[in-house]
Amino acid sequence: MSFARPRVFVGIQPHFAALSRSSALRTPVVARRLLSGSSCSHAEHSPNSHDPLVSGLSARSHHRADPPIEYDSKGNEVNPYSAGPSALDKAVHLFFFTEIIRGMWIVMENFFRPPYTIMYPFEKGPLSPRFRGEHALRRYPSGEERCIACKLCEAICPAQAITIESEARLDGSRKTTKYDIDMTKCIYCGFCQEACPVDAIVETQNQEFSVETREELLYNKEKLLANGDKAEAEIAANLHSDHVYR
Amino acid sequence: MVSLLRTIRNARRVGLREWWRQLNYIGDAKSGKYIGSDQFGNRYFENRNGEEEVPGRHRWVDFAQHDFNATQVPPEWHSWIHHIRKEPPTNDSVVQNLSPPWKAPYIENLTGTRGAYKSYNTVVPKINAWDPKVKARA
Repeated sequence: MSFARPRVFVGIQPHFAALSRSSALRTPVVARRLLSGSSCSHAEHSPNSHDPLVSGLSARSHHRADPPIEYDSKGNEVNPYSAGPSALDKAVHLFFFTEIIRGMWIVMENFFRPPYTIMYPFEKGPLSPRFRGEHALRRYPSGEERCIACKLCEAICPAQAITIESEARLDGSRKTTKYDIDMTKCIYCGFCQEACPVDAIVETQNQEFSVETREELLYNKEKLLANGDKAEAEIAANLHSDHVYR
Repeated sequence: MVSLLRTIRNARRVGLREWWRQLNYIGDAKSGKYIGSDQFGNRYFENRNGEEEVPGRHRWVDFAQHDFNATQVPPEWHSWIHHIRKEPPTNDSVVQNLSPPWKAPYIENLTGTRGAYKSYNTVVPKINAWDPKVKARA
């Protein structure tokens, strides 16, 4: 094969012409050569040469035997690959050229498939009942607020986003007078709802509480209770669906 | 190709008027079973046929307001449209039984309007500005 032969004899200008002319022809030829040289067709046993009960290391060899070494008239060794394309040429053609084809094929496939785009906010992706979103303070079914101001959530909060002050009410029960969560500090780890002994502070499934100013994210007790009052049905249903695992 | 057939099929099912509304809001022709509507008039649909809707796009909402917003969905339907609960709140006995009588009316996220939440202190401040008091002279 005379692909690379002209580059030995002729100048630069015809060299480029020869390269560009032969590259289209060269590719299938190179691919065929690489296929025949690949090892997978030689991985199986040949039944006539081996007793099936005897296994030898030579039968498991994945390499074909080396071709016989050729010598010229002076007795020097002849490189059989000097006339063909280099290993780098073969690799470039196999990987880079087929890479383009394979990439374009994936584009073609997906062009004819229905789109997977979820049209938010009309359609929404799935959420877990354990999803940790905006915080809320819950109430008992009687309407009494649950929080007993034990300050366990304040103690466990790794971002120190919770501030609690408590006071005894007129009937003697200890309640919070201040329950502030700095939502800009909160890392939504969920430790507060796990620390809470009365399930008062929970993280609801609401993730759409983005605001325009930073001040709106400094939640106080009234905001948290309002969150709980709005979403109590959803919170209670999520706790109900998860109660067997808790 | 698939999208064209799908568009024609869904447009024929929902009718021209509804199709035009969908193109103005959702931006895609969708047809499915009407599941219910909430107190604000948002309508909820579902199509669980895997050949017609890609899984994940099978539940959708048609907002009542022109200036729509994801937080206009009340919490009960929020848990349905987020696939948290299987049944819609109209026939989900768990959600209905756990709805308390003191449930507050739902308000969407009012940020950027005059109704936006404004933080305030719920206790008496511990540090006060100096308030000079002058004793009356005799």
